[in-house]
Amino acid sequence: MSHREVFVLPLVFLTVALLGGVRVTDHVVLLPPPLFTFVLAFLLVGVLIRSGALAPEQLMSATRPPMANASGAVVLITAFVAATQAFSVAIPESGLPRLLFSVFLLALLLNTLAASPDRVRVLRSVLVIFGSAFTLKFIVLAALSDPTGGRVKRMLQIMLEGLTLGTLSQDVYRPVTGYVAFVTLTLFVGGLALLPSRPRRMPDSAQRDAVRNALD
Amino acid sequence: MREPAARLLGLALAVSYAVFIVALYVRQPQTVAEMTGALSATVGTYRIDERAFADGLQFFRTGQYAAARLALERADPAHEDPRTQFYIAYSDYREGWGRVYNDRELFARGLEAVDRAIALAPGGRIVVDDPDLQMRSADELKAELQAGLRRDASDLNPLKLFRQRK
Repeated sequence: MSHREVFVLPLVFLTVALLGGVRVTDHVVLLPPPLFTFVLAFLLVGVLIRSGALAPEQLMSATRPPMANASGAVVLITAFVAATQAFSVAIPESGLPRLLFSVFLLALLLNTLAASPDRVRVLRSVLVIFGSAFTLKFIVLAALSDPTGGRVKRMLQIMLEGLTLGTLSQDVYRPVTGYVAFVTLTLFVGGLALLPSRPRRMPDSAQRDAVRNALD
Repeated sequence: MREPAARLLGLALAVSYAVFIVALYVRQPQTVAEMTGALSATVGTYRIDERAFADGLQFFRTGQYAAARLALERADPAHEDPRTQFYIAYSDYREGWGRVYNDRELFARGLEAVDRAIALAPGGRIVVDDPDLQMRSADELKAELQAGLRRDASDLNPLKLFRQRK
């Protein structure tokens, strides 16, 4: 029995589900994930399975006892819920940025699904996707939406001269929201890396021969 | 620990944690007190501060409504007790009521409190057995607060000057 499967992964993913909706303004707001994030989460789970980063047969199968299958089901369900909340963290809450981010993430996931990369590449790709979305939302857009302004805002205004900021500005959250979001996304990517994966395929005989010839 | 027992423990932990998260998202606590109150209410251990509640009632009966609200808020910091929320709403009503016009801010706060009370009460029904009150149910109080917030032609009726506070 793996303690990772029984205790660690469900608790990590449920914590992501809890923290993913936290937004701090004058008071704490807990936002449920928007419907579109379910589509993105579904695609992400598909990408993880296809790449071997997630091996569902190691969590649920006819050869495992019922209790083990129940634990496996909890891991799969919590991973899916955590993915919806992770996307909810990454996507802005309103306006043009929300639409652009949603379309961009959908295209990225479809592209990754079509490319069928291996586990390590998928995890790197997920890290880059969430890292860049975090930076854009909590640093760039937050600076643009800050009513008090600042050096970053002035710099961005010069770069985006001519564009109406009304379409870009977002609700202003307390800085703690960004820190919570960072912890949430880090936990999520960490949780994905801990998922039971499919063993890497051995190169086929033709590839082995080519390598041997090259070495000779 | 044996494997089935460990798996059962893991499942129980995960289910409890998930129930807690769902309860938090449904209740939308806005302060730490509300968060801990929501947690206690989820497991059925939430209790109000009876002494602060008694103080609040005493202030309420002597017409010190602002003081009554403070004491009642102290009694139920998590906003989880329907009876306390009912008295908070009643304090807002009595303080905000005016013969010529009502204090809309207080009435709006009262409406929020009575809505909370109705949401918390089993079946949404609250009846308080208190001879000092003319409106003993949350429904009557809510209707009165809503009527006080409404603006229509009846506001110009001079007979309104003779109405009585409940």
